[in-house]
Amino acid sequence: MNIALLAVPAAVAACFVRLLSPPRRAMHDGLPPRFDASTRRPALHQSTRRLLWRAKSAARALESASPAGPAQPPAASGSSSPSNASHTSHACAPAVTWHASRAVRWKEWLARVLPASHAQQRTHAYLDSFSLLECAPVAAFVLDAQGQVMCANAHAERLFHGQQGQLSGLGIDMLVPHLWSAVQRDAQSLQVEPAAPVDMFRTPPSAPAAAPALTRETRAKRRDGSDFPAQVVLHPIAWQGASAMLGFVCDRTESYELKRDRQELAHLTRVSTLGELAGSLAHELNQPLTAILSNVQAAQRFIEHDPPDLAEVRDILNDIVDDSCRASEVIRRIRAFVKKEELELVRLDIGGVLRDVVQLVHSDAIVRGVHLSLDVDEHLPPVRGDKVQLQQVMLNLIVNAFDAVRDVDPLDRVVTAFAGRDRDGMIRVAVRDRGHGMSADRLERIFKPFVTSKAQGLGLGLSISRSIVEMHRGRLWAEKNSDQGMTFHVTLPPWNEPATARATE
Amino acid sequence: MNAAQCELGVTVYVVDDEECVRRALSRLIHSAGYRVEAYGLAREFLAQVAAQRSAALPHSVPEPACVVLDVQMPDLSGLELQRELDETLPAVFLTGHGDIAMTVGALKAGAADFLTKPVRDADLLHAIGQALARSAAAVQQQHELRELQSRLERLTPREREVMQLVVLGRLNKQVACELGTVEKTVKAHRARVMQKMEVGSLAELVRVADKVAQPGLSPKPAS
Repeated sequence: MNIALLAVPAAVAACFVRLLSPPRRAMHDGLPPRFDASTRRPALHQSTRRLLWRAKSAARALESASPAGPAQPPAASGSSSPSNASHTSHACAPAVTWHASRAVRWKEWLARVLPASHAQQRTHAYLDSFSLLECAPVAAFVLDAQGQVMCANAHAERLFHGQQGQLSGLGIDMLVPHLWSAVQRDAQSLQVEPAAPVDMFRTPPSAPAAAPALTRETRAKRRDGSDFPAQVVLHPIAWQGASAMLGFVCDRTESYELKRDRQELAHLTRVSTLGELAGSLAHELNQPLTAILSNVQAAQRFIEHDPPDLAEVRDILNDIVDDSCRASEVIRRIRAFVKKEELELVRLDIGGVLRDVVQLVHSDAIVRGVHLSLDVDEHLPPVRGDKVQLQQVMLNLIVNAFDAVRDVDPLDRVVTAFAGRDRDGMIRVAVRDRGHGMSADRLERIFKPFVTSKAQGLGLGLSISRSIVEMHRGRLWAEKNSDQGMTFHVTLPPWNEPATARATE
Repeated sequence: MNAAQCELGVTVYVVDDEECVRRALSRLIHSAGYRVEAYGLAREFLAQVAAQRSAALPHSVPEPACVVLDVQMPDLSGLELQRELDETLPAVFLTGHGDIAMTVGALKAGAADFLTKPVRDADLLHAIGQALARSAAAVQQQHELRELQSRLERLTPREREVMQLVVLGRLNKQVACELGTVEKTVKAHRARVMQKMEVGSLAELVRVADKVAQPGLSPKPAS
């Protein structure tokens, strides 16, 4: 998806080109019939048509000069002419994935493609310049100084399930709750200067790009009361001589759902991994319970003695406290692991994360007769990450390693987990086994979903682990050991690197 | 009873890799009056037992003892450890999650009992009591055997040959014929055998011969 975003400026240009193209086929784009430009909107003013013609030429020129290359082949542009520009808004591709923060650039583009001459036409252009946004594949609107919608494009009306013209006059808070108060709060930082606002569509190419925009990830409300996750970008502009706000709203439902599905899947695999460990976790819990019961019964007997051995009973009580804490610690670890919470990127000691996981599989190692050793560099810098997800990765790697040594000689049932620092400053966690290993062509395939060597495996563990590590701006890969078995490596950037502060989604 | 057991040198070994469990079990068993020795590693325990055995006099027999064993241990599983022990040191197994196969395997291999964790004190102490009784019986048996063997070793090769044939039910003259000697000599040998083996009748001699038979009554040089 991110790759698509990079091409947006070129896509916008292409959009303009198609705006000016004649309709190819009536059914061409599958848009709802009411998005038919000829019925929805009056014909453009003659002067605007002329402007658009210029815009088209400029857009073409820019498109060919664009470093990203032409994003969309302007298929029908060759036959377009100024006279049929008014029919065409429905030809613009609705599929262009739009990133609202990029939308602001549009203004710059428009500023560049529209000429500064034709002073007498400017007043007309004012009225119609917003109609340029009618075809935009993003919801756009203009707010007055009181936060009321002055006009909204067709996409906005569709997005908010409003009837034509219904959005005009509404307070923006009706559409995006609490947005206007946020605007007021941020008015300072937005540096809205009514005296010199950026004039929409009129900034000369040499002028500074734009006043800073206000961007909000929030929930927007449709007219029917339902809400959806949205990204809103507001930009101060001059509109008909007064200061106003140009706003764009992007429906983020898909990206939210994608993110949620990914979390859901990670959670499911986490739970299923823990399910495999259920037996040994029960053992892990059983040990302190055994100690507690025996301690209590011993205490009962010591009290019966004549004289009662109170010193011994005191020791016993101390031990019972410790054992109870240990039992609840086991439960805490399990619960923390299966909990379903939003991703939380915090400063983490990766050695501690690894130790926690080793504790979790301690009993499993004993039951399987695997010798698990841990080698952690004590002076590791912290990383930025989600504790549960990174634990999931390490648990997955360690349990895989246990499986890898299942059929080998008992003396070779050795798994080693390291945490250390690479020469290039990256934090590395490695899990090494002495199993049978695998052929070189499988080394990369195992990271694909649904590839598994286990009878009851889903084949999702490694692919999810890799996506988790990549989300942490790290890398996960497998290597064959020179002697025997395999090593899985995870590298993560340390906390202090500024790049890590930009958490990805 | 408590003091008596301590004085008798009855020892219960506890082998569990988990320190908290080891301590709790040791306490519980100690509270019942047994001497307890606890080990965290199976091999450490085996080494200790072996050291005690080798330090003891050649003909002495061990005191009754038993071992409370965790099945799952990192260095050596409880079942593997049990194979290294003889019947004077019966094992009471404790396990967090034992299955039928594991239980049957352990009991077939001579385990005194198989209990699941967490264990109630009555169950554990009962099992320990039975294991110690078994150990005491085995010790007693071993003691007797040693005694009989030492008597047997006092016999001359000729007396041993005579004894072997006599317990098979041969008459004196048949023995004399087989050994190529006269009945009178056989009679004298036989009387000395009865005396050295400290038995009063032929029936008793046969029983003794049977007991010693397991390790082998085969003629061996009376060193």
